[in-house]
This record gives sequence, C-alpha cells and structure tokens, in this order.
Amino acid sequence: MDVLRRTIWNHRDEFLQGIVVTGQVCLIAFLVAMAIGLVVCLIRMYCRPLRWLAILYIEFCRSTPIYVQLMWVNYVWPELFGWPTAFFDAGWAALALQSSGYLAETFRAGIEGVSRGQREAALSTGLSPTLTMRWIILPQALLTMTPSLMNQFLVVVKSSSLVSVIAVPDLMYQALRLTSIWFEPIEILSFTAFLYILIVFALSAGMKWYSDRLRTRYA
Amino acid sequence: MLADFIQAVQASLFWEYRTILLIGLATNFYVFGLAALLAVALGLVACLARLSPFRSLRWGGTFYAELFRNTPEYVLLVWVHFVPPLLLTLLLHTRINFSPFFSAVAALGLASSGYFTETFRAGIQSIPRGQVEAARSTGLSGTLMFRWVIMPQAVRRILPEAMNQFISLFKSTTLVSLIAVPDLMYQVSMITQQQMRPMPLYSGAAIIYFVVILALSSLVRHMSEGWRAVGRT
Repeated sequence: MDVLRRTIWNHRDEFLQGIVVTGQVCLIAFLVAMAIGLVVCLIRMYCRPLRWLAILYIEFCRSTPIYVQLMWVNYVWPELFGWPTAFFDAGWAALALQSSGYLAETFRAGIEGVSRGQREAALSTGLSPTLTMRWIILPQALLTMTPSLMNQFLVVVKSSSLVSVIAVPDLMYQALRLTSIWFEPIEILSFTAFLYILIVFALSAGMKWYSDRLRTRYA
Repeated sequence: MLADFIQAVQASLFWEYRTILLIGLATNFYVFGLAALLAVALGLVACLARLSPFRSLRWGGTFYAELFRNTPEYVLLVWVHFVPPLLLTLLLHTRINFSPFFSAVAALGLASSGYFTETFRAGIQSIPRGQVEAARSTGLSGTLMFRWVIMPQAVRRILPEAMNQFISLFKSTTLVSLIAVPDLMYQVSMITQQQMRPMPLYSGAAIIYFVVILALSSLVRHMSEGWRAVGRT
C-alpha cells in the first residue's frame, strides 16, 4: 500500500495530465484524419485525373506501420516541409496520417452504400451535386459508417501510447518517467495498463451504446 | 523541396548498410513468425473456452479476449518486458530477466491472440445451426462433426480475416525496436545516431515497409477472393 501511495496516489496530477494530453492528441488526430479522409475519398471517387494519387496515398497510409510513420513524420517532415517543429504536432500528425487512409476507405464504403436511386432522385429534384452530397448522401452514409468511425477512434487511442516515444507527455510518457524515478515498474506499469484498458473499454462500451441508439432512432 | 525529396529517398546510404538492414527485416519476420504461432495457439484455446458449455470457462475466455484487445500493444510490450520478470524474481527468489526478443514475442503474441479469439469464434459461430443438426442426425459424434462438418466451412470463413490479423501483427513487429530487439527500425535508428542524417534512412524504412506490407496485403486480398469463391459453391 505504501508503494501505491508513493508511486501512484502522490503522482495523481501527473497521471491526470497524461490522460488529458492523450485525449488532446487523439481528438486532434481524429478530427484532422476525418477531414483529410473525406477529401481524399471524394478525390478518389469523383476526381478522375487525381484518382491514382488518392489511391497511392490511401495505400501508403494503410500499409505503413504507425511507429514507422511516427518516426518518419517526426524526423523527416521538419527537414522536408519545415513542419512539425513541436513533438506534440508530430504526434497527432502521425496518428492522423495513419487514420486518414483508413477513414477514406470507410467513407467510400459508406457513400457507395447509399443506394443510387437516392442520388438520382436528389439530382432530379434540382439539387446541385454539392447539396446532394451534403443533405442526402452524407447523412445516410454517416449512419452506416458510425461503428467503423468509432472503431477507428479506438485504434487512434490505442496507438496514441506510442507518441510517448517522441517525448509527448501523454499517459504512457508519465508512466515511463515515474518508473524511471521510483523504479517500481510492477505498480506503475500495471496501473497504467489498467488505466488504458479502462479508458478503451469505457469508450467502446459508450460508443456501442450511442451507435445502437442512433440506429434505433434513425434507421 | 524537390532536391530535399530526392535526398530523402537517396539510395546510396541505404546500399551501404544493406546487410544490416536486411538482417533487421529478417528479424521482423522472425518475431512475426513466432508471435503468430503463439497468437494462433492462444487464440484457439481462448476461442474453445468461449464456446464451451461451462459458464466460468466462457467468462474466462471473454475476459481474456477483451483484456488483450483493449490494451495498447506498446503498453503491453513494456509491461511484459518489465513486470513479469520482477514478479517472478520476487516469487522464486532468483533473478529473472526476459530477453528483449522473448518479451517481444510474448507481448505481440498475447496482444494479437485476443483478436484471433474473436476471429475464430465468429467463424465457427457463423456456421448455420442446421449444419450441426444435420450432422448430428446422421449420427456423427461431436469430434467427427467438428472435424468434417464445422472445421472445413469455418476455416474458409476465418482465413481472410485471420490473414488481415497476420498483417496487422506484422505491422506491430516494428514496435519491438523500442525494447531493443534489433529489427529494421532499430537498425535505422542506430545508423541515424551515427550519421545524424535521419531523412534518407527513415524515408527508406517507410518505403521498405510500405512495399513489403503492400505486397503481402495484395497477396492476401487475391487469395481471400479464392477462399470466398470456394465457400460459395
């Protein structure tokens, strides 16, 4: 008990800060990934001349391990593009890069899942293609995509533990730092693993509940 | 910027270290192979537990699968590398250390066994009940039914998903460099520290993994279509 108080309870602020940073990284990464994913998906589906580029992008993001992307973004991008200069930015950028490829494919599956008749009917009532996309196709596609979007968010949360490698002070980083201060890995690392399991499990249970509710309400 | 980009993918530095890097990639495959064996074995056991008629075993199997599916791989890797050796040391009063290689195989195997449990279970449960009833009514015993009726159909449904799991397991093997298993990423970071030129090496590593994994996943996609087609006829 004494060890637990010394290594965990007395450092509750650090653990909390770690969780907050993990949350920030995940949220920014996921929102950016959704935006990029949607754009890439639309390019792939509706912009013939750039289609090969979109496919290359998607395949690159999906076929490269997240750790490799993280190192690549962290070490190569600053020299190549002059950005990201902060570890925090590199962390979410890498996570967003990875997810945007998966999300682009999720969006495509969702949009293609909306029946053709919907699109034709909307166009024939005089809606422009943009308005059709915004008001007819996307709302229906989003409903079918919700479970996979949520799954992808869980993947982001789980991969986010890796950003500690490039010194982003997330939950895992705090845990490793405290381990090296106290050298009590049993308590600290087990507690951290427990926290991650709790977070991921709670998120997945909550999301499942929410997507079931959405489906009973709208579908 | 174009010049930068050309430098980023410059091959000469890569060529200089080709042996070390290839050995690194081979280490990736080695870790992958052992972890995959462990994952499939544990996944099968946990899957049988989940399908067993005893409630406590079912609970155990479910708990096992959920536990390892919800833990981030990196966290599990660090945990396995540091915590069990210490616990064993305390229990047995002799100093025990896990080699990085052992920890890597154990952690990745455990992490992916959770997913395999679910894949196997979904495959077996997707066989319609009518098949079981028909097999029973022709007088097949439980074992024979499993061997000749359920397995042949289940395996075809499981294989495509299992192959995807293998590919994500292979992607996870890049993490083992973090506990100093000398895989490709580890070699790249070591050489980078000597040369102080991260650009070509990390870009090259990304491209190597991209090519290897893209080739593997296209192969899997191609084979999966065959398995699905056989399943339909």
